[in-house]
Amino acid sequence: MKPLKIGIAGVRGIVGETLTPELVIAFAQAFGTYQDSGRILICRDTRASGPMVRAAVAAGLLATGCEVIDLGICPTPTMQLAVEHFNAAGGISITAGHNPAQWNALKFVRGDGLYLNTRQAEELLDIYHQAEFTKAKWNEIPSKIETRDAIAHHIEVLKHGFDVETIRVRKLTVAVDCCNGACAVFSPRWLEELGCRVLAINDEIGSPFPHNPEPKRETMAQLRAVVKAGQADIGFAHDADGERIAIVTETGEALSEEMTLAIAAEIKLSQTPGVVVTHLSTSQTIEAIAARHNSTVIRTPVGQAYISEAMLEHNAVLGGEGNGAVAIPEIQATNDAAATIGLILEHLAKTGQKISELAASLPRFTMLKHYVPVAPNKLFSVLNDIRVEAETAEAADLDLSDGIKLSWPDGWLHIRASNTESMIRLIAEAESDERANDLLDWAVDRLK
Amino acid sequence: MVGDSLTPGLLTRFAQAFGTYVGSGTIVIGRDTRTSGEMVRQAVIAGLLSSGCRVIDLGVCPVPTVQLIVRQRKASGGIAITASHNPAEWNALKFVNAEGLFLSAGQARELLDIYHQGDYTKVSGGEMRSVETFAGGLDAHIKAVIDAVGQLSQKRKLKVALDSCNGAGSIIAPRLLEALGAEVVSVNTTPDGSFPRGAEPVAENLVALCQLVRDSNADVGFAQDMDADRLAVVDEKGMPIGEENTLALATRFVLGKTPGDVVTNLSTSSAMDEVAKLFGCNLHRSKIGEANVTDMMQAVGAIIGGEGNGGVIYPAINFCRDSHVGMALILHLLADSGRTISALMNDLPRYVMIKEKLPCPSEKIGEVLKLIRRDFADNQMDLRDGVKVSFADGWLHVRGSNTEPIIRLVTESASENRAREILNLVFEKVERLLE
Repeated sequence: MKPLKIGIAGVRGIVGETLTPELVIAFAQAFGTYQDSGRILICRDTRASGPMVRAAVAAGLLATGCEVIDLGICPTPTMQLAVEHFNAAGGISITAGHNPAQWNALKFVRGDGLYLNTRQAEELLDIYHQAEFTKAKWNEIPSKIETRDAIAHHIEVLKHGFDVETIRVRKLTVAVDCCNGACAVFSPRWLEELGCRVLAINDEIGSPFPHNPEPKRETMAQLRAVVKAGQADIGFAHDADGERIAIVTETGEALSEEMTLAIAAEIKLSQTPGVVVTHLSTSQTIEAIAARHNSTVIRTPVGQAYISEAMLEHNAVLGGEGNGAVAIPEIQATNDAAATIGLILEHLAKTGQKISELAASLPRFTMLKHYVPVAPNKLFSVLNDIRVEAETAEAADLDLSDGIKLSWPDGWLHIRASNTESMIRLIAEAESDERANDLLDWAVDRLK
Repeated sequence: MVGDSLTPGLLTRFAQAFGTYVGSGTIVIGRDTRTSGEMVRQAVIAGLLSSGCRVIDLGVCPVPTVQLIVRQRKASGGIAITASHNPAEWNALKFVNAEGLFLSAGQARELLDIYHQGDYTKVSGGEMRSVETFAGGLDAHIKAVIDAVGQLSQKRKLKVALDSCNGAGSIIAPRLLEALGAEVVSVNTTPDGSFPRGAEPVAENLVALCQLVRDSNADVGFAQDMDADRLAVVDEKGMPIGEENTLALATRFVLGKTPGDVVTNLSTSSAMDEVAKLFGCNLHRSKIGEANVTDMMQAVGAIIGGEGNGGVIYPAINFCRDSHVGMALILHLLADSGRTISALMNDLPRYVMIKEKLPCPSEKIGEVLKLIRRDFADNQMDLRDGVKVSFADGWLHVRGSNTEPIIRLVTESASENRAREILNLVFEKVERLLE
């Protein structure tokens, strides 16, 4: 089975195999039709296939009569924030996020800058499958594509969201690994605005990814070395499009990506107690932190749109995911690595606390992540078989809102189908390594 | 037609088929000023990049510029985005091979075969190549024309009235004419894709240009079509000389300098025979279609050629119709002879050409041609493309269209009555047969 994933997180595939220009054009036509031929922003990350996919997206949108504004290479959150600013009907980000270089994808954004929710994504898919696209008449097709810069606007909004003066005074040294991705055009500029001494690596947009663009401990060796050699106060590792971020402490320790949301929650809830929204697969550290600050956690199914909408509904003070993505509502109710940087640096500057001290103060659990590739036509029958078994596992709590989540007092196990790849993801977390391993083994045995 | 049958999905598949056909080489692209050009360009770029091509994008430019740059940059091919003289709602792709020629009929069939099979080359994301924006295409084209024909003598400063139909010629023709050393006044040189007049450079579309020639006392008026391959000429009195005579004037200059063989198609005016005879040169006639003319030009080593629709082909620059070359040659004729367009036209016998078409189911076309062959069996005939019958005082050409279910009738004679008489005779015969 070829790797192509058409679903609520957009359309994602390998260029040269499944993600063909015809497919991309058809999706852009479907989106243009869905948005009633309105104004659409487009942006891309730095993948070599970006210009091809961008041209296909532009052709499809223009053919449906959409006015296209091209933001060029920029982080996805920069485009999302610009949608309302430029009074657009929506946006398409051309990025496969954390996936390797040969992948590419389209992420669809609606008029309020948030991702399409499940129902909207299904409507879009319906239009795509029916292939009854709006065809603009020759004199309704815009004759050119406008090019605009949205980075300045994003930085302006960020500057109003944080105490920039305090950060500037501290003259922090910050190492950042842009993975030669879209953040290469953003983060050094943002950090300089914050008065930081910037040690940027992999900040060349013409170069290939130096490592997989997924911010995880195993991709952060180079950043750790730079933090130590440059005596940086903190190091940040980006994905390809500026959503997820992971942290290296001033001692050179690479923190698990699960710690990013935990650190953000500790900072934010100590300032403003309230609601934190995350999904079912995120560490229970968040509950522990919320309990310290008289706050509550709301859990949603996995998917950015669920979190964004729950944040708005519950007037949350923070949202995010265990993969290093954090949403700060003062900036926007969607994942934004630049806002995450602002929040953390503001805290370091105000309190003088070291990032390693902050990390050490947080409750830690052992989390194990694993995945099992499953053919797309088997994904849901396999899950169903496990659900039947799960009912006999005597868990304290069984949550079936997104796959199967089994919880016990000392740990939990989440088994679900990926939104982006054809696989089943397994996540186990417990107070001890041994218990986490046992939980994971139970699931792996069932999947054999 | 854009907004109807010409969808971005179809365009990107054709671009992928072409990228596959040329073995993922370097492809030069350019477009005319039609409003749908940007959409088509994006779909073409996506398809070419996906099939592993490197793209050199010339932006808005005439078709001949694409063909020239293909050869200069030793590219594997080119795609010109233009529907030529078709109305504004149309757009199309014209494919150019590595020699800078439009694909021959055989090559076009091979490309179509790849298109229909749908098995296109796909390069992986990491190997995808890039788009080079090349702004120097127009300068290279202007330089090539001036290198080939030289600048005008400044003894007599020529004044040119220009109508570029707001097409691709708008951005190059005024610069070229000034570089040649002429003074330029113009209408319709805003390259915005609006159609200020019918796109075909025929007399009824040239009212504004004729007025401009008279108002500005210009020595000549030049009218281009959207993609600037065809040229119509207006004389110094503001009268269109007829598009059939554009090639005759250009040929007259070229043969006056260097005698050589000339090629045109079967339906082009007898004025071309007169011009060739004037210089003792051979005129060869090819089947209809630009590729047929250029094929024969290469075969006989022609020094100039073209079509009666205002398409001048001058191989010293390019094996394709190029209105800019036509303008340069005709201006040189004016400068060297020191005469006016109307005086030069008076040297040639005036012919009257009448073009008609009749609806005809394609399965009946053979019968029509057979009838003509039988009824005119006593006359000299050319059967390479339909039937061309030569009379002592004129000729008749009957052929089935390649694109529509119609037959085309063309007659020409020095006398309008005679031309009309021949046409009526044939019209009656054909109508009776089709009843």
